[in-house]
Amino acid sequence: MKSFVRDTVAITGKELKQLRRDPVSLILTIMFPILLIGIFIVIVSAFSATSHNVPVVVADLDGTPASNAMINELTRSRFVQVTQLVQTEDQAYQAVANAQVIGAIVIPQGFGVALASGNAFVIVSTDNSKLTSSTFVSAAVNQGAQDLVNQASLGGGVNFRLKLAPIDVITRPISGRPPSGDPILPGFLGMIAILGGFDDIVNAISRERERGTFPRLTLSPVSLFAVYSGKMFATVVLTILRTALMLVIFSLYGLVIRGNLILIFLTTILIAVFTLSLGLTMSTRIRGSATLTVLEIAMTFPLFTLAGTTNSPLLLAPGGRAIADSLPWTYGNDALRRLIYLGAGLNAVAGDLLILLISSLILMPIAISLSKRTM
Amino acid sequence: MSVATFLSDSIAVAENEFRQFRRNRSAILISLVVLPLFFTISLGAGQGGAGTTFSPTANIPIGFVDNDNSLASLRLWQTLASSPDFHNLIQSYNEQAAISELGTKHIYAVIVVPKGFQNDLDNGNQARLILYTDDSEPGLSDQIQSTLTSYAQNFNPNVEVQPHLSQLQRQSVAGVGIVVKGAIFAGFNIGLTTVLAIVQIFAAFYEIAGGISREREDGTYARLLVSPIPIGSIVLGKTLFDILLCIIRTFTVLGISVYGYGARPNTDLLTLLALSLIVALVTMGMGFVAASLKLGQRAVVIIEFFLILFLFAFSGLIIDINLLVGITQVIGNLVPFTYAFDALKRTILLGRPLLSLTFDLEYLIGSILASYALAFAIFHVSRERLIT
Repeated sequence: MKSFVRDTVAITGKELKQLRRDPVSLILTIMFPILLIGIFIVIVSAFSATSHNVPVVVADLDGTPASNAMINELTRSRFVQVTQLVQTEDQAYQAVANAQVIGAIVIPQGFGVALASGNAFVIVSTDNSKLTSSTFVSAAVNQGAQDLVNQASLGGGVNFRLKLAPIDVITRPISGRPPSGDPILPGFLGMIAILGGFDDIVNAISRERERGTFPRLTLSPVSLFAVYSGKMFATVVLTILRTALMLVIFSLYGLVIRGNLILIFLTTILIAVFTLSLGLTMSTRIRGSATLTVLEIAMTFPLFTLAGTTNSPLLLAPGGRAIADSLPWTYGNDALRRLIYLGAGLNAVAGDLLILLISSLILMPIAISLSKRTM
Repeated sequence: MSVATFLSDSIAVAENEFRQFRRNRSAILISLVVLPLFFTISLGAGQGGAGTTFSPTANIPIGFVDNDNSLASLRLWQTLASSPDFHNLIQSYNEQAAISELGTKHIYAVIVVPKGFQNDLDNGNQARLILYTDDSEPGLSDQIQSTLTSYAQNFNPNVEVQPHLSQLQRQSVAGVGIVVKGAIFAGFNIGLTTVLAIVQIFAAFYEIAGGISREREDGTYARLLVSPIPIGSIVLGKTLFDILLCIIRTFTVLGISVYGYGARPNTDLLTLLALSLIVALVTMGMGFVAASLKLGQRAVVIIEFFLILFLFAFSGLIIDINLLVGITQVIGNLVPFTYAFDALKRTILLGRPLLSLTFDLEYLIGSILASYALAFAIFHVSRERLIT
């Protein structure tokens, strides 16, 4: 047992020394978190910009005070910019078809009269190939209509004899964060652990194989289990460093981390260990480091959707949800979100951590056994 | 040198590439099977295909606490419970107990009907519903809130059985209907545009840049470069080889998308194939530039990873370019893949003829020519250095 621990520590030390001597891998370890966060900032700043100025045209076929009030609401919108007022419905649709604007808003004849009876409608035509911008056009019209209704019910401006919706829904998130908070940061922490784990396995096994040092290592008087344990502990150390870096970036970004830091580190370590176990199993069949990296990267991208990184797996189609439920990473990301946002304790995330641990414990002996066979 | 010799040299290089490819089982597997299958199936499973209509909130366990115990609140419960959007509504009698269940994965939201709900409705005041949500699940709160709001805004307490909500009512604000027009995309069409582009970019870059790096590491690349074959033939030969792989991949992605997930592209096969190859050629051009910089295989793979991540943020794949702010929009407008994604969406989704997208095509072809010219120049310099 003593020699096993000593060998494990020796292998861990060797791995870390190798990483220190390889500037590309060292930079990569630091670049992964920074790059992912950079992309997050680009995406978030695009969505949370104070104004979007999505170009739209408006066709007012009614020409009443009510339709004017609606146009005023639209020109005040922070989502769209009314670039032109056109005379006919066809002109408006044509502007969308010719890609001059992303949306056309048509206020039909009789809008003012219908508004008083609560049967008014507005036609919105959008260039739906612009997937995100078209939703902003709909949101602007929705907001404009809501403001018009609110204004009327409060007796402000022109009275259209409108009533507010019968029921208002007030949302209270249990974390107390603003609804437009930063919902994907914990998922990114999980992704860093996954990417790091995959990168470590390429460094630890495939590149050693390519250099011809792996057979020498396995022929040395060190057990294969100690070799793998040493490589795993190196990953644990690196995961701790990556997690710490991410948490610092999160704090600088203003994210309040509510949960126990030790539990957060434990979760990322378990995610990385599971990834490493899977990588070890894969590396027994795929020998080239570049091939293994490509395969692992190809696996990583779908995880953004399927493992709950950017969206809750609960919102996936049934097939996707079944895949998500079968991926141990989903449970890791879930635990991270609960720890960071809700400040959950060990008993709340114990099940998730257990799934990660058991999955790793199942995969690791398989990896060792396959590795022995293919040696 | 005659054109015939140039072409025969190019074909010889392409044949050599095929021979090497045929001998490499893992390359065949990754390039032609794993990448197209993996991306298409995972995205298809996540989004659902044409035959799948699902409400994201339907099976999410949601608590319902009725503190009013009135006829109106009972009707609201019946409306929600019988709707296709709230199949898993759990009635609870203790508000605090229900809220404390949030965050435990037993329930993900609690709808509370406060006391005085019916009174407010009877007196013509706006009644309120309070929705507590587990916001640790990204996107879930917004989804439940918008679905519940559509029911709340159209709720009539005087009607025992609420009419089924039309799409118009779901999107409307009380008093003002919003009729949404514009192309509705069948099944997996949006998924098809994304997967087709990503698979081609991912595979073509690896095959070109990774292939040359591998040859360089094996020592065969220097020999090829100093052989009497012109650099143009080497580049063309490798391009021809990769074009064939790209055609196979296009058909694989298209086959799974159409037959597996019900995608119905609004364009003909030729346009689709042409665009897919243009995307691949832009990537190959970049791959040649990367390869001419003498990068190792691992560096190539890492650059590829960063390239894809970069494209997610800057090329209109997730966010439309016009929504990006400041310098990010400028970067987005410079990236050729932005125009490739735009052309793919306009043809596959809207059915626009390819030749009508003149600016997109001009920019893409210009990028291909520029990157090939740059790679050719760098290869030429390195060949001169090798010889001297």
